[in-house]
Amino acid sequence: METQIPRQFRVGVDIGGTFTDLAFLRPDGKLDKKKVPSTPTDYSRAIVEGISDYCSEKGIPATGIAEIVHATTLATNAILERKGTRTALITTEGFRDVLELRRIRIPLSYDLDWEKPVPLVERALRFPVSERVDALGNVLVQIELDSIEPIISEMTSEEVEAVAVCFLHSYRQPLHERQVGEVLRREMPHVHVSLSCEVLPEILEFERTSTTVVNAYVAPLISRYLETLRAKLEEINIRPPILVMQSNGSLISAESAAERAVTIIESGPAAGVVAAARLAKDSSCSNVITLDMGGTTTKASIIERGEILRAGEYEVGSPISISSRLVRGSGYILRIPIIDISEVGAGGGSLATLDAGGAMRVGPRSAGAHPGPACYGQGNDLPTVTDANLVLGYINTHSLAGGALRVNPDLSEAAIKEKIADPSGLSVLDAAYGVHAIANSNMVRAIKSVSVERGRDPANFIMMAFGGAGPIHAAGVARVLGIRRVLIPPSPGVFSAFGLLRGEVEHHSARTVLTHTRDANLVEIQSRFDEMREILTSRILGEGFAASAISTSSFVDLRYQGQSSEITVPFPASQVTTEALRIAEEFFEEEFVRTYGYRGDTKDFELVNIRMVITVSRSVEHGSEWLSESDEVSAKPLKRDVYFGADFGLLPSDVLTRHCLESQPRSGPAVIQEYDTTIVVPPDCSVFLDGRENIIIDLDFS
Amino acid sequence: MSFDPVRLELVKNGIGSVVDEMVLTVVRVAYSSIMKDTMDISSAFCDREGRMIQQGLSLPLHLGSFPDAMDAVRAEFGDRIAPGDVIILNDPYHGGMHLPDIFMFQPIFADDHLLGYGVVVAHHNSVGGRVPGSSAADSTEIFQEGLRIPVVKLYEGGVFNETLQKIIGLNVRIPDVVLGDLQAQVSACRIAERGMLELIGRYGVSELERYFEELLDYSEREARRAIRSIPNGTYRFTDFLDDDGINMDQPVNVCVSIRVEGDEVTVDFDGTSPQVRGAINSTLSFAKSAVYFSIRSIMDSDVPNNSGFMRPIHVVAPPGCLVNPQPPAACAARGVSGFRVIDAMFGALAQAVPEAVRAAGEGGTTSYSIGGYDSEGRFVLFREAVMGAWGAGCNREGIDGVANPAANISNAPVELVENQAPIRVERYELVPDSGGPGKWRGGLSVERQLRFLGKEATLQLRSDRRRHRPYGLAGGGPGAPSDNFLDDGGWGNLPTKFTMPLKNGQAFRHTTAGGGGYGNPLERDPNLVLADVRNGKVSPESAKKDYGVCAEPTPWRVNVQATASLRAGRSSPEPGPSTF
Repeated sequence: METQIPRQFRVGVDIGGTFTDLAFLRPDGKLDKKKVPSTPTDYSRAIVEGISDYCSEKGIPATGIAEIVHATTLATNAILERKGTRTALITTEGFRDVLELRRIRIPLSYDLDWEKPVPLVERALRFPVSERVDALGNVLVQIELDSIEPIISEMTSEEVEAVAVCFLHSYRQPLHERQVGEVLRREMPHVHVSLSCEVLPEILEFERTSTTVVNAYVAPLISRYLETLRAKLEEINIRPPILVMQSNGSLISAESAAERAVTIIESGPAAGVVAAARLAKDSSCSNVITLDMGGTTTKASIIERGEILRAGEYEVGSPISISSRLVRGSGYILRIPIIDISEVGAGGGSLATLDAGGAMRVGPRSAGAHPGPACYGQGNDLPTVTDANLVLGYINTHSLAGGALRVNPDLSEAAIKEKIADPSGLSVLDAAYGVHAIANSNMVRAIKSVSVERGRDPANFIMMAFGGAGPIHAAGVARVLGIRRVLIPPSPGVFSAFGLLRGEVEHHSARTVLTHTRDANLVEIQSRFDEMREILTSRILGEGFAASAISTSSFVDLRYQGQSSEITVPFPASQVTTEALRIAEEFFEEEFVRTYGYRGDTKDFELVNIRMVITVSRSVEHGSEWLSESDEVSAKPLKRDVYFGADFGLLPSDVLTRHCLESQPRSGPAVIQEYDTTIVVPPDCSVFLDGRENIIIDLDFS
Repeated sequence: MSFDPVRLELVKNGIGSVVDEMVLTVVRVAYSSIMKDTMDISSAFCDREGRMIQQGLSLPLHLGSFPDAMDAVRAEFGDRIAPGDVIILNDPYHGGMHLPDIFMFQPIFADDHLLGYGVVVAHHNSVGGRVPGSSAADSTEIFQEGLRIPVVKLYEGGVFNETLQKIIGLNVRIPDVVLGDLQAQVSACRIAERGMLELIGRYGVSELERYFEELLDYSEREARRAIRSIPNGTYRFTDFLDDDGINMDQPVNVCVSIRVEGDEVTVDFDGTSPQVRGAINSTLSFAKSAVYFSIRSIMDSDVPNNSGFMRPIHVVAPPGCLVNPQPPAACAARGVSGFRVIDAMFGALAQAVPEAVRAAGEGGTTSYSIGGYDSEGRFVLFREAVMGAWGAGCNREGIDGVANPAANISNAPVELVENQAPIRVERYELVPDSGGPGKWRGGLSVERQLRFLGKEATLQLRSDRRRHRPYGLAGGGPGAPSDNFLDDGGWGNLPTKFTMPLKNGQAFRHTTAGGGGYGNPLERDPNLVLADVRNGKVSPESAKKDYGVCAEPTPWRVNVQATASLRAGRSSPEPGPSTF
């Protein structure tokens, strides 16, 4: 297959709870977009309809679609709703309950109502077998493969559709898992098999078991979904390759995604950060905090010196919305390379309440997309953040999402008056402003948890805001954090879909080696790097890319001996040598100082994991310029009264469109109305348009 | 309403951010794993009068310790507190809890005006003393437990007290780690100062102090509201510790009587055993923390943890008793007594608000250490804590394999243990039939078996809840008792608390206690019993005997007729807490 993509349409598709966003890169290099209502009973329907509608509107033949890049929350939803595949687990005797015991920590204090997340494999389907490997990889108890037979017949009668296999120390000695895998794949050919030594050959039995089980639990679903999507597209003669975004922001083929489904969980939020990182590079801003606000949550992440900050683990399906490492245990842990995104339960649909003690709360309870904010008139009469924004004059009083959704501001006002203003003695405007300000302060905590936990000061970053509601709140959040500049990219409401078009094809792999660097066995480490390269290369060739387009980078996880804070740093050579290890140690110490503020007093290092990333360079056009006609442009300048709190009061503010702005800054207040969002410029800020159609808001701190 | 509810929430969030950031800073900058990974740390901001305005992300059992510690600081220094001071203490008889927990206070000034204090308390790996780890249960006086630090200044007017640092450094087994961790606490204090000054910039001193009052009043209102929902009356409960680690045949009583009058509550420890020889004596501040934790846990909203919440709660304990010991009683292993105070509190509250509490859980951490030499003669110190189960409640199943709600720490991964110590973990599993039977079943206990592969070592272990099992409620049965075994060519029994030599190839096994059940087990939904049988959590025999349910294979199903006849004619157990 050619790695050169012909100059046709590329499509990015991001599925959300309410809308499915499509971003199109046209052959002329311009970007276009479309929002269609999501179809939760079968998400592929909205995609197929969205693409075929667009094609017929624009008179594009089916063959004109060159590629579809996709982000889906299907796997996440399956876990949240516990609707995954019926899954079994085969594990080492004596350790049947590793999956259920977890790390035993609970996420919140003083909560006797807490319930432990139900294990994705119930105990009856967790089968211990007699086998044992020690920490050095020596086989202590040989596995008897005959012992698998009764398990197979039990799994068959239990109608199991997927099996995970995880034995102790298999990251060091995968022999037993491989043997069991071979038997299972031979005797149960229609059952999905996930081996922990293939999914995650890394130390820590709970994290490895959990990751492998989640993979088995969602892989058959993802596989079926992608097959359905492909079949439906083929019905209308659209047959392009489908790529899927992974949680780390890179792309893999649909086939690989079906096999390694665990890597595509949380792909939608990742796409937004990828778009932000590319834009940061194009606009030469190196330090960026992203603010992605949607209907139920707000997500924040960090781009530093142009690089996305990543994390090594993530809890999926967690109902608790403070994503701090201090609050763990409420979801299902995954050890996967993932963009470090902090999430807080503050979105447009978050409910505002006054509690019995007289304090105002915003979120984490949400009215969601259905029934949605009070202004939707769909049966919710409690005020939400969107209602507050409507009352304050921040958003269009007629409709949202370019007219796709009608709203009634009277319902917002009634909700705020009755539930908040009257009981607290505040005016309706002050009550609404309070809801807005508290939502901001919740977002501040999310941002602090990605920045401060990593030792970064938000004041040294600019903020990039997107998502349906991000640009409404950005300037207010930035002020509390001491951030001086906010950037709103074009088409912020479909920014994640756009990010899909900007991902690169990548495959990641890792191995635990756990050795002191000083007496490391260089030959063995080299052979494990070689093994990873071989596996990743064949996977990528299997996806149809040319060997010449592949480039490899290696990384190592190092830590001071005896400490637990390991850090991933680049490994500076393709051959494992003592010199290369020394350089990696220096990288580690630099990053350690940056994060923890001091240098260890030892020069003894442990090499925990080795990692490899293979990237495919495809000369793909990314595009950066949007078709201007896709935004509503009002010829007449409008004004409306907008409330900016007791200090400024109700101010008549210009209602503009992006293209009314110029490179010359103008002072706030102003409201910039777009197809699917609004940008609020408070009075103590100025706003201008940079050379790339980005709106820049500068905050005045004097 | 006299205050702005928006500003109240914003100030609360603002201070919340500061105190959380303090904990994050310690986690980030500390050297020791007990701070970095286990996160045995708490933070708070207290106002100029020493009242706690907000507690940070931290351990529930530190909740009530800040005001007493602040009182000690104010008693010692009065007005002699100036910008640039940093004060520390650890002595249980001078504002502390037990010696490993070092408190640190940074006064925060707006110009000349004292606004309050950033406070952070952290558990240090060593403060010296007789036994490595400074936590032994079998010390008999505080002088054996390590370095006692009175209320002293670590910095005075910005000048570092080198003499004090030298004394600490010389008295602990791992000075680099301890002094590094102490510095991490200093960093957290600096963060508190910076954050609070920022808030002063935003709101001004007088407005901020006005909202301190509002926050205290707000928590007080919520606490009084919660207390009013408890029927008036006096509720008594006695729970027990098996022994004090020295006198192995002598149980120790923890006796509470909770008197609820309107929106005030008094908790009296009269009847509790006198202070003991072993090191399980608990300061009154720690017992208060356990009381606050229990009452906080039955409140339904997430009010800020501050001194206002404590206003309507009064705690009384006779001087010289287990939870108000006099010097020189030893306190290092006081954790287990705190856990038992909570169990006794819930047992008493169950009489008043049975639907709000759970039956007893495993009774706290079992902790052990193996100190000795590996096969190459290198010294190894291995410590871990094993938990646990939650009891069942009204319409709430117990939880199998979980941290104690008052001591939220992680287990140690088997693969990490085996890579770092000459130990093989041979079993880490739930124990069938160990949860107290009930309409809602108590959580199952956990079994952990370790084999020592090194040369020789000393094994020191602290457990409890063997003779006095976790109680059930409303007719539910007690959880299974804890136990310890040694494999010395054949399995033999070990006491609840012991120190013994361990030889190459020997193994020991600890089983935690199980959680108590709630309600009559004969009323348990047979399908829930069936699911437990199918999952190997309850045996078919126990299903018959304890639940009156006949579960049969294959496939597993309830024999409805046999179940009906098993249940007919069985008398219901006595309601109220089951005996031990």
